[in-house]
Amino acid sequence: MRRLIASGVLIMIVYAVVLVISTAIAAPTSMDGLTRLFSPEYYAELYGGITGDWQKYGGPFTYLTSDIFWKIYLGIICVVPAVFFLHYIAVGPKVFSHEGPQIRFFSRFTIVIHWLGAIAFVTCAVSGLLMIFGSFVGGGGFIRFARYAHIVAALVFVIPGIIMFLTWVKDMFPTLYDIKWIFILGGYLSKQKKPIPAGKYNAGQKAWFWLSTLGGLTMAATGYIIWEMGMALDTVRISAIIHNILGIGLMAFLLTHMYMSLFAIKGAIQSMITGYKSKDEVDHLHSRYKYE
Amino acid sequence: MARMRFLCDTERCIDCSGCVVACKEGNHVPVGINRRRVITMKQGEPGEKSLSIACMHCSDAPCIAVCPVDAIYQRDDGIVLVDKKTCIGCGYCFMACPFGAPQFPKGNVFGARGAMDKCTFCAGGPEENFGKEETQLYGQNRIAEGKVPLCASMCATKALLAGDGSVVADVYRDRVFKRGSGVNAWGWSKAYDKS
Repeated sequence: MRRLIASGVLIMIVYAVVLVISTAIAAPTSMDGLTRLFSPEYYAELYGGITGDWQKYGGPFTYLTSDIFWKIYLGIICVVPAVFFLHYIAVGPKVFSHEGPQIRFFSRFTIVIHWLGAIAFVTCAVSGLLMIFGSFVGGGGFIRFARYAHIVAALVFVIPGIIMFLTWVKDMFPTLYDIKWIFILGGYLSKQKKPIPAGKYNAGQKAWFWLSTLGGLTMAATGYIIWEMGMALDTVRISAIIHNILGIGLMAFLLTHMYMSLFAIKGAIQSMITGYKSKDEVDHLHSRYKYE
Repeated sequence: MARMRFLCDTERCIDCSGCVVACKEGNHVPVGINRRRVITMKQGEPGEKSLSIACMHCSDAPCIAVCPVDAIYQRDDGIVLVDKKTCIGCGYCFMACPFGAPQFPKGNVFGARGAMDKCTFCAGGPEENFGKEETQLYGQNRIAEGKVPLCASMCATKALLAGDGSVVADVYRDRVFKRGSGVNAWGWSKAYDKS
């Protein structure tokens, strides 16, 4: 008898549990499901899936490209040369004797690679600027040609870029006296001729090295993503933003590099042609460099 | 002046892709370029919906804002058009567009993109109306003929509406009112009154 009652109670408990669970499962009835399919939230979810979250990267991309980047580029190509022009008038170039003992700085191979990379790099910079300010020329065939040149020059740059990185990387790690160099801005603000703290390459050259090689290769990678446009759209948008921001930095440093080699130090460009710097120049501008 | 707009009624679109075919065939759009496409969401699930998408001819269009050579422009009636002779194929408009409307043919030089191609609202391009060049580059100019775009005119269920924005909105409002939606849908008050 007790066993009968016990099993009866057990059956009732199991039944009750099953009832509760089944009601819980069936609680969102088909009616609610149908209502949901016609709710504004459902449409919002559906339509949101098509265009994605444009606000996240599409909006910033549109704002930056239409309103910001071209103004910064315009500022860079106007202000930087103007500042250098004033510097040339106010402080003037550094002049060193090119007579006397010569110190070998660059091998023949390095010089060839440098100029190969340089031509490709400058072509990229000029054609890139032409595209950014394409509306002033009215677009069309000429700017389209600039775009093709941009692609070819970028491909040409990659190999010399990698070789230059490998050639110079061992001399380019920051040292303590680089901080001092930065504080006196390489001594370019004074007319005095005294030894500047720098090894084979000064802090400015080191910054330019890292930016132009690693930055240049990043430009090539992001440029490839923009050219191919096969990845997720947000990846392409981010790549385009990175490409533009890095381009601004490279543009500023490229102008500086050209001013230094062509004007700020008289005859400095000769070292990238012959491979030799005069002892006078090295002792002043690269005072910590121990040459044989 | 009338403001041209597209509207796709998802309660009517049946994913027949007739609009896509009409656009491609009528405008001689090259292979690999789809000015219009049909997207089906929740395919095979309850609540499946289809939607025909092309260039929306936005007000304050982001593509116009980012174009570096000002090749894209907006007409007074709101239609956004591209000048293919000015376009350099940089692809910025595609990155700016929320709807994926701009399309690019494979160019001849280094696989670089050719000039951008997109829905013209069947309004041709900047060249002379009905000229040979306009037809070749942009397709038909049905707006100049006083007709609605191909896609909307052939839509079997009249899901895709195109034309003056206020008229399109009136048609749609009338439809929604008549058929009801959500709990106002036909028969619902009788059948499901209790919930």
